Amino acid sequence: MPDTAASKRFTVPIGPQHPALKEPGHFEFTVDGEIVTNAYVRLGYAHRGIEKAAESRNWVQNLYLLERVCGICSHIHGFAYSLAVERLANIEAPPRAQAIRVIVAELERIHSHLLWMGVSAHEAGFDTLFMYSWRDRETIMDVLEGLTGNRVNYSANVLGGVKFDVTPTQADIIRKGLTFLEERTKHYLDVIMHDTMFLQRTRGIGVMTRSQAEVMGALGPTARASNVQRDLRVEAPYAAYKDFPVQMVLDTRGDLEARFEVRINELFESYRLINQILDNLPEGELNVRVPRRIPAGEMIVRLEAPRGEVFYFIKSNGTDKLERLKVRTPTICNMTSVVRLSVGHQLADVPMILAGIDPCFSCNDRTVQIRQADGGAQPNGLSSLMSWEELRQYAIRKYEAR
Amino acid sequence: MNTEEILTIAEQVVSAWDWTSESVRTRPNQLDVKVTSLAELHPAVVGLRVKRLGFLSAIVGLDLGPEANEMEVLYYFCPGDAAIVLRVRVPRQGATLPSLSDVIPSAEVFERELSEMFGIQITGLRNPQRLYLPDDWPDDTYPLRKDFDPSVLLAAAPAAENTPSERN
Repeated sequence: MPDTAASKRFTVPIGPQHPALKEPGHFEFTVDGEIVTNAYVRLGYAHRGIEKAAESRNWVQNLYLLERVCGICSHIHGFAYSLAVERLANIEAPPRAQAIRVIVAELERIHSHLLWMGVSAHEAGFDTLFMYSWRDRETIMDVLEGLTGNRVNYSANVLGGVKFDVTPTQADIIRKGLTFLEERTKHYLDVIMHDTMFLQRTRGIGVMTRSQAEVMGALGPTARASNVQRDLRVEAPYAAYKDFPVQMVLDTRGDLEARFEVRINELFESYRLINQILDNLPEGELNVRVPRRIPAGEMIVRLEAPRGEVFYFIKSNGTDKLERLKVRTPTICNMTSVVRLSVGHQLADVPMILAGIDPCFSCNDRTVQIRQADGGAQPNGLSSLMSWEELRQYAIRKYEAR
Repeated sequence: MNTEEILTIAEQVVSAWDWTSESVRTRPNQLDVKVTSLAELHPAVVGLRVKRLGFLSAIVGLDLGPEANEMEVLYYFCPGDAAIVLRVRVPRQGATLPSLSDVIPSAEVFERELSEMFGIQITGLRNPQRLYLPDDWPDDTYPLRKDFDPSVLLAAAPAAENTPSERN
């Protein structure tokens, strides 16, 4: 083999099939032996063009569309969108609605962090922790289903408020679930801090210093594990966070172990906050009326999703449709850190580093086109596209045929 | 730093020397900067970064439509509760912007998205390839422009791709 630079480089493609979270993303790692020397990322395998689709729907329809940006943190997207529309229309949701939105947001954070803990334990080869944490996560899923009617895409928001109330009976069910989880979480904290096998996969791996985290624009628990004070619930409190302050969880070490500890300690903070809000739930209406046409203007909303800051930009042109919507989700910001941090590590550590930021690909890739089953009736050999009405009729037929 | 201090520092940064950029406070926590000359964009970002205000939250592209024949690019810097927006106007045809990724590494992914969705060329990217759009996406087709017509995708799709013989 000729001794050229190109012949010495070896590229390992990872993905698009589930590099970490059973979601699609493609990475190319150039390796020298076992050590990663360069990394590239290619996304978009789950890109559905939601930003474009939103331009053709009215304000209310968009709420349901945007809740489907992500299956894990669906509430935060509905929350951010409703908040942006309400601010554009210059109205404010009633205090009780604000509190219920925060309760659902925190429940979502708990389920997301537990899900993440399971997945990254699985990446580390610690499947017992994976099974246990996902079993316990079912507690939260049941609570969310009891509260909203759905396990995912809870659809808690309406423009101007929320859709449902939290009754005293439901509050008791939530408290019971949280008490159980608090005990379990103490156990998990003990495991991830003291299990020697697990520490070998996390301690000192993927270290990101504070200045690196700041420069690379890391967000959420990934940034907080590197001691970057970036938590919008504290920096710029919104909704009920103004009345129920949150303690920011920080760590100085910046490695994977710190990211585990920050997320698990955030769980305790979420349990405390939900209990506090349930005990002091403001009385009043659940929603206010929002006009069909929203005044023209631009508005940004930044909320703290489980993975970090989610950024919404909405431009209204004064009609019943929006002019432009931009969604920036936390994973895309944290992805830069994966690509840069992998360099210098063993290839075997890469899945853990990737899992360490809690990547969510459907968030960062953001209409599905459905074709008729007519076997390529179009002149170009493709099947014809289904219209919205055809799709609706198809759904009704399918439902009735069950 | 509180929001007021952040915005005051940002105002000083963007009003430095003899720049033509104008800044207006559009909200109590938001500073809008109209960057009138592209040569001022990069120094302004360096200035914000040096003052530790360089947290780039997002880059938003806005197509103002074929009539206006212009596009607007908004760079949202969001330290703390504040928002500093750098607004840049570019023509719809042949627009070029300098990459900020040498100052702010996380800008790269936003710029690659902006480039493929709006057709704005970004100079100085480490990896200028597509980030989100598929490899067989037709050239010169930018989905987030107002005059984007999805039917070009059907015309551009290779005829053999979905035929039964190919599938089996």
